[in-house]
Amino acid sequence: MTRIPLSLIINGQTHEVLAEPHRTLLDVLRTDLGLIGTKENCLEAECGVCTVLLEGAAVNACILLAAQCQGRAILTIEGLAAPGQLHPLQQAFIDHGAVQCGYCIPGMILAAKAYLDENPEPDENGVREALAGNLCRCTGYQRIIEATLSAARALRASPSSACRETAR
Amino acid sequence: MTQVTRIVGRSVPRMDAPGKVTGTALYAADFALPGMLYGRVLRSHEPHARLVRLDTSRAARLPGVRAVITAPDVPDVRYGGSVKDERVLARDRIRFAGQPLAAVAATSPDAAAAALAAIEVVCEPLVPVLDVAAALAPGAPLVHEAWASYTALPILHRDRNVCNRARIVVGDVERGFVEADRIFENRFTTSSVHQGYTEPRAAVAQWDSSGLVTVWSNTQLPFEIQTTLAEILQLPPSKVRIIVPGIGGGFGGKLRIGMEHFAALLAMRTGRPVKVMTTSEEELTAAYPRQPAIVEVKTGVTNDGRLTAREARLWFDTGAFAGSGPGVASVATLMLAGPYRIPNLLLEGFAVYTNKTNFGSFRAPSGPQANFAVESQMDIIADALGLDPLELRLKNIVREGEEGPTGQVLTAVGLEECLRRAADAIGWRDRRPRAGRGKGIACGWWTTTGGSSGVYVKINPDGTVALNTGAAEIGTAALTGAAQVLAEDLGVQLADINVVSADTLSTPYDFGAQGSRTAFAVGNACRAAVADLKRQILALASKHLGVEEHALALREGSVVGEGKRTTLGELARISQASGGGLIAHGTFVAPPTPYDAKRVEGHVYPAFHSPSFHAHAADLSVDAETGEITIHRYVVAQDVGFAVNPAAIEGQIEGGVAQGLGQALSEEIVYENGRVLNANLTDYKMPTTLDVPRVESILVQHPTLVGPFGAKGVGEPPNIEPPAAIANAVASATGVRITTLPITAEKVALALRARAT
Ligand code: FES
Ligand code: FES
Repeated sequence: MTRIPLSLIINGQTHEVLAEPHRTLLDVLRTDLGLIGTKENCLEAECGVCTVLLEGAAVNACILLAAQCQGRAILTIEGLAAPGQLHPLQQAFIDHGAVQCGYCIPGMILAAKAYLDENPEPDENGVREALAGNLCRCTGYQRIIEATLSAARALRASPSSACRETAR
Repeated sequence: MTQVTRIVGRSVPRMDAPGKVTGTALYAADFALPGMLYGRVLRSHEPHARLVRLDTSRAARLPGVRAVITAPDVPDVRYGGSVKDERVLARDRIRFAGQPLAAVAATSPDAAAAALAAIEVVCEPLVPVLDVAAALAPGAPLVHEAWASYTALPILHRDRNVCNRARIVVGDVERGFVEADRIFENRFTTSSVHQGYTEPRAAVAQWDSSGLVTVWSNTQLPFEIQTTLAEILQLPPSKVRIIVPGIGGGFGGKLRIGMEHFAALLAMRTGRPVKVMTTSEEELTAAYPRQPAIVEVKTGVTNDGRLTAREARLWFDTGAFAGSGPGVASVATLMLAGPYRIPNLLLEGFAVYTNKTNFGSFRAPSGPQANFAVESQMDIIADALGLDPLELRLKNIVREGEEGPTGQVLTAVGLEECLRRAADAIGWRDRRPRAGRGKGIACGWWTTTGGSSGVYVKINPDGTVALNTGAAEIGTAALTGAAQVLAEDLGVQLADINVVSADTLSTPYDFGAQGSRTAFAVGNACRAAVADLKRQILALASKHLGVEEHALALREGSVVGEGKRTTLGELARISQASGGGLIAHGTFVAPPTPYDAKRVEGHVYPAFHSPSFHAHAADLSVDAETGEITIHRYVVAQDVGFAVNPAAIEGQIEGGVAQGLGQALSEEIVYENGRVLNANLTDYKMPTTLDVPRVESILVQHPTLVGPFGAKGVGEPPNIEPPAAIANAVASATGVRITTLPITAEKVALALRARAT
């Protein structure tokens, strides 16, 4: 099959790749670019582990064609904070014990980020609705919701903390 | 018991969290090697058939296809844990819809999928054995005609489609029923539910020039998979190396062989590394989900609520192969007794072959099925006798020093405290606050699985510590718990410890991440290693400092005494220069739990080691029109022995309850004529953020003498009681008793309507 040249803006950097037109963004991220922080499970937009941000909106990379993302900005978990730094959501997920096996967590954190970007003062119900497309089988969600609410508070208290260097 | 501790007993963040939140943690599903091919498995559409012909010639010629293998290409081996009844690929007989028929390897997932579609399957359908009733009917077709010739554990009681009947007999049930004023007989059924791990089962295999195959897989039991894979490949175990890079959840679904054998066989055939990973459809049709069960319970009770006898039988659908079935049927008998003092018992658990997938172990295997039955019946009894369900339980629960059903002596029994605290927290006194709202309670017990664990603990030249364990971290934070125990005993900080785990070639043996045992057993192995290390450290420090050993103490990464001081790092450097370094091999094996062997038959799990006790209470409303259930509050009181990491344990409780509520309310793998109707994550309904209520955890601590600092196993128990607690609360709210799982809104609405007419 013929491959088409694509220019994807991932985590602020432009990546040129050659890919068949039917290939998904998820496949290109994981296989071609080695960005394995975006996870793979159902491949049918049902579990949310493949969530990335496309122009700031949470999307399932498993049903998005890479070709649809031509020239558009994509954020994956690898780009959420600079190397050696943690985004307040990441810090809150650690501090609140919101992580167990962790396989759902990159998608969960990005879905939470998309929501908090639009809703800086969320309540519990809002968070529950925003994360309803992301399955987690380990945690029962309680600590994920607490961590998201706590990260929202941290972000309000110090909006620049999204790129603050943290201890770890 | 109060212990002054620095690190155990504290809610420290899990050690692997930073890697998991940044996306750098590596899972088996992420693992890749240069030149790797993609493997796929062709699965049967027929539940029961004679396999006439497989034509792979067209598939093999497709572009990108590097190998197509069928049964004649693989060693003719039957394998299996307790009964050797399974083959890698079907030879002439198909026993379930989903059974592997062929495997392919290709240069891309698309090419592999195209190859599967190009294989021609010719088979003659046979009458399928669709469920337990059909399998037990007189003259039922045999799922395995040659069952009697199979190699099996000699203690199993096998007969035709029954691959084990486990039994407990205590006293004389007939006499016990005569002593009873009332006898209650009830029947319950449960459905199959999937573990629902978010990471599919995955394996990557690569052979080297010495004939060693390395498989990177997300198995919970690397050492068991090493043995099984060696058997399948007809190799000595030393030629099979299993490495677990990371696991995205298991819950028992990743105990038995998954994709490892397909990856290894395809890699052998092609000379290239091969990765095989399941689809959601394969997971829901051909994995190891929980056994559906039929449970019949007959219990005798006096008018004042004393249980005199119980006769109970539980039939598990084990599917086409025995797998975990014989063992889980054994555990079921202990669960049918419940945590109650019942002098006369006849309890039987059956594992029954049918033409379905090989149902397996799921977090507290047999627990929810048996508990749903016996704890629902406790409420039925209480209602009939006009007793409070809590009082009925308190009157009959086992107490410190009493016997379990098979004669084991029970110690550290925190059950009364669990029941009372859960009841208090839920506001038990006001059990039916208004029509349509009610509270329910359920209690139970569970084992801390024993088995052995080894660790190597090494002091690095900078004073940090390497913990090398054969156990895999499946997400429970059990290895953080074990590292807390190590840090506590060795007098170092948790941040000083690095964990290396789960590589059968380089890490010491471990019985595996199963049965709520990892923090318990690995923690104890760490304690043994520290005892040895301390001897080495003090002997060396004594020589180095010129201070008698008895005058030295280990404190915060240093050895001090008589005003002198040296660090662990310095001692490690001295030892490296002179004696090969400071390293210890710590081991632990749980001491056997004595029981009365005369009481059991066909039993592979006759006693619960260091048992835990628990009570769950739910407060919910039922919509009178739609039957929809809204959970207002959910409380768990669990006797954890000693809480090594309270936040991590609460996380286990919250997650286990969420899974249990899925089984209680919405989850079911639906079969029709032997085929799964809902093999996708839209139609198989796992709880989302909108479904799971806040869970309130109460950690009760009655320390066991065996566990590290008194800890008991904590991972599985939270999954046991939710179905019964919900069923009892629904009955309390509506007066309607639902005896089949899941308790869907439709089912409740129909029952309400039936009662109204
Ligand atoms: S893998 Fe994309 S939603 Fe499940
Ligand atoms: S932490 Fe395991 S699926 Fe969410």
